[in-house]
Amino acid sequence: MTTEDLIRRLAADPRPAPTVARTLARWLGPAVLAAFASMAFGWGFRPDLLRAYADPVVALKVVLPSLLAGAAVVGALRLARPEGHTRGSVAALALVALTALGLWTFGFAVTPRENWGAAMQGSTLAACLLSIPTLAFLPTLALLLALRRGASLSSTLSGALAGLGGGGIAASVYAFHCPEDQPLFFVTWYGTGILIVTVLGALAGRRWLRW
Amino acid sequence: MPDGEADWTALFRAANGGDRVAYARFLQEITPVLRGIIRVRGRSVPAHQHEDILQEALLAIHAKRHTWDPARPLRPWLYAIVRHKVTDAFRARGARVELDLADFIEILAAEPGPDPTAAGDARRLMDQLEPRAAEIVRAIGLDGETPGAAAERLQMTEGAIRVALHRAMKRLSLLAHGTLR
Repeated sequence: MTTEDLIRRLAADPRPAPTVARTLARWLGPAVLAAFASMAFGWGFRPDLLRAYADPVVALKVVLPSLLAGAAVVGALRLARPEGHTRGSVAALALVALTALGLWTFGFAVTPRENWGAAMQGSTLAACLLSIPTLAFLPTLALLLALRRGASLSSTLSGALAGLGGGGIAASVYAFHCPEDQPLFFVTWYGTGILIVTVLGALAGRRWLRW
Repeated sequence: MPDGEADWTALFRAANGGDRVAYARFLQEITPVLRGIIRVRGRSVPAHQHEDILQEALLAIHAKRHTWDPARPLRPWLYAIVRHKVTDAFRARGARVELDLADFIEILAAEPGPDPTAAGDARRLMDQLEPRAAEIVRAIGLDGETPGAAAERLQMTEGAIRVALHRAMKRLSLLAHGTLR
């Protein structure tokens, strides 16, 4: 086919598809709702939900992963433009990570040294590490599918941001169930769970987000 | 060319609104520019493939046209796509990349070293080279023919002559030092 023919064919279809942000808005909402519903009906809310979250330290269990997810989604959307960059989002992510690190240090400070191991171990570690990736599945999938329509020049990083977003959403959803209120527990294991999803997202992105 | 940019942006914006004529004109206007970019960046790919790469770039622009944010300048977006697709296309053709040796002449020619032809037994050493390489070394190294003239006589490009000469000299140098047999 000559280039002239090609141009003629392409020009017959001038209207662009919906933007990545619009596609994401359509899929991410239902995915988050589905994750929340499966937590509510499958895992169940913790019985002392309102009382527990009156403590600001415990409230951070929901707030920090939500902020992380927000920054990751914004970054992923920016990176979905071929000329886009993630400088601002990386700064926001670093800020959340630093806050988490501060909370972790605080956890060590307020816990007697001989209890560090037990506090970190908690009593629901396995459930936590299984639940976060499970609950992250749909939100991460929605992000990856929307980003597939984007034009990221770094597919692995975009995939990682999708995983970070999905993992952050899952962690803050799981926090409505999770009875562990020790920062040493939830910073460590929520962080690990989110990291697992981030790595999986990066691997998926490297495969699926190339164009 | 700021005028060109304004034109492209106006055309592409109209195209986004559904204007086929504007879209066709936009694609026609960017095509020669893309062709130029591919020619300059794509010297390592044979010229007859440049048009294929151009078409791949146009298809990518078409497929990703919804990722342009109308509030932002068009050109960085456009060039980011083109650079990506062109680089990709070159990489995909990596198995049969045909290097333009002219690019490397400066680097190759600059390498210093002892002159192996100075050795008394240069001609004996040269018998161990391939006939073609030996002829090039004899013509330029011993008989003082210019690379240009040798290239013309042997029906090779000057770049290829220089590279062959460089390789032959290196081999001769190794032979002279007895490190290669």
